[in-house]
Amino acid sequence: MLGPNGAGKTTTVEILECLRSMTSGEARVLGLDVMKKAREIKYKIGVLPQDFNAFDLLTVKENIQFFGSMYDRMLDPMDLIKVMDLQEKADEYFKNLSGGLKQRVGVAIAMVNDPEIIFLDEPTTGLDPKARREVWKVIEELKKKGKTVILTTHYMEEAEILSDRVGIIDRGRFLALGSPREIIDEHGSGSHCIIANADAKCLNVLKERWPDHEIRNGNFIIPLRDKDNLVEIIYALDGSGGNYEQIQVTRPTLEDVFLRLTGRKLAEGGDTENAE
Amino acid sequence: MPNRILSTLISSVKMFYRSKSSVFWTIAFPVILILIFGAIFSGGNGGKYNIHIQDLSDSQMSHKFIEALNQSEVINVIDVGKDVNISEYIRENSPTAVLIIPSNFDSAFIPGATNNTTQLKLMIDPTSTSANVITSIVISVSDHFNLAIAQGGEIITLKRTDIASEQFNFIDFFLPGIIALTTMTTTIFWTVDIQSRYRENGIFKKLMTTPLTRMEWLATQILWQLVVVFISIATILVVGIALYDVELTLDPIAILIIISSSALFSSMGMILARFIKEPETAGTAANAITFPMMFLSGTFFPLETMPEYLRAVAQVLPLTYVSDGLRDAMVYNNIVGATNSLVVVVILAMIFFLIGVAVSRWKVE
Repeated sequence: MLGPNGAGKTTTVEILECLRSMTSGEARVLGLDVMKKAREIKYKIGVLPQDFNAFDLLTVKENIQFFGSMYDRMLDPMDLIKVMDLQEKADEYFKNLSGGLKQRVGVAIAMVNDPEIIFLDEPTTGLDPKARREVWKVIEELKKKGKTVILTTHYMEEAEILSDRVGIIDRGRFLALGSPREIIDEHGSGSHCIIANADAKCLNVLKERWPDHEIRNGNFIIPLRDKDNLVEIIYALDGSGGNYEQIQVTRPTLEDVFLRLTGRKLAEGGDTENAE
Repeated sequence: MPNRILSTLISSVKMFYRSKSSVFWTIAFPVILILIFGAIFSGGNGGKYNIHIQDLSDSQMSHKFIEALNQSEVINVIDVGKDVNISEYIRENSPTAVLIIPSNFDSAFIPGATNNTTQLKLMIDPTSTSANVITSIVISVSDHFNLAIAQGGEIITLKRTDIASEQFNFIDFFLPGIIALTTMTTTIFWTVDIQSRYRENGIFKKLMTTPLTRMEWLATQILWQLVVVFISIATILVVGIALYDVELTLDPIAILIIISSSALFSSMGMILARFIKEPETAGTAANAITFPMMFLSGTFFPLETMPEYLRAVAQVLPLTYVSDGLRDAMVYNNIVGATNSLVVVVILAMIFFLIGVAVSRWKVE
């Protein structure tokens, strides 16, 4: 679930995690009604809540053990520690861990009951880029193990890299749903070829040949209709005898999709930083 | 289900002994309390009242009178010299009670003398709590002398024995109060602290995602508080026995009262923490609740010395029944009284636990 702060991502997953009562509508997890079967659902899901915290004065292993004992069956804590690459920190107090390591412990705890669905609510918010990549690696491991992961994020890059399916959410509504590729194809503006700092000779040829062009910041931008376009552009440039600095092909991102769908950028979409 | 409760308890024990400040305060608070009370009640002049006497008569009879006061065993006579200016003496020494024996004191006792009266002058600080006691002792000794002069026989005599068995000393009477107080403060402050801290740092949210129910959580917290309370009480008894020859032991009724009162006060803490969100404010609120109870529940001062309306207040404070019950059980050996208090505490504990369960939310708001 990709959306700006305040879009309703956490509210939605907290309803699914049976942490929050909904005011209207219906929600089912694994076919179970969240209002009636909360306990059954809790046995079958694993959750990393937003701003996750465990017990400061228990070690990593003890924390995993503690939360595991809440369920009828649990995976071996040492196996989880190995999967999360936490071996060196197994006997360290939780309070002494860095932010990235704490999140990894959180993911380990979310897996302790071998859940059918794992909810990760903004697992990388507040982490530095290195720690963020560590968490990504862990999430990719979960995917490889065949786990269903529901991830919320306001980082476009994160959604694009990690997701099989993305739901773009804004102001409590889903605007688009599908694989990143599908969403971009459906809502994006298509690929473009950008020629930077082309001289007059080049520009004359290009303008005549591609009347649907755009010029922005000294960049000459041509929409690519099909894959032959690029070859034609290069031939045309070559034939013009002029000079240019750089030629580049861009494809649209989820950011562009969000911009097109809402008229705003993801980063500035929320009303307040702490709305969730 | 027992698995969940057991493992929460085990984790609590681990976190407890790893937190040096928790261990320190669980042990230090009761030790400080008992040291203060021990110092107050075991030292000094053994609960005697000072009376400053200027004996202007300095005769056989006045000496006998002073001797009689001394024999009352509650008066500690301090001699003010004959030549001292008494108003200056009062200004300099701020005595509670000054008795002046006039110079004609002995002449009043001469049989057949014409002027057969003499007047003792007792100056007393009316704001002092001992004023009434001192006055009545001086009056009773005077009456005794009057009777002897009139050659009247005593019809009523009085023999005093202590109500509880004589092996107890003063601190024994206060110990149940200290135990009641420790039970209350330990459980309320721990509960409020844990509840508000876990809510703030998100541990609650994580716990809510597991199959742990709020009933199991409340039960676990109450059980754990009980462990902490017994650590505190054991400390009190060990220090009391080691330093002040405390003779008290916990009998089954006392233990039941302690168990039900920790459940009662833990539940109170839960309710408090439910409505006060910030950990800092929660501590202040816990103080606001425990402080009046500390002073109005007969823990430090006997209820009999309080004005009627405060006694009425004490009747509705749960700590009153805990203190009373423990004192009845541990000091007076009053099984009926102790059982009555126990019943009240158990009922209150059940009511507060149910309110605690009812108001606590196991959901994000």
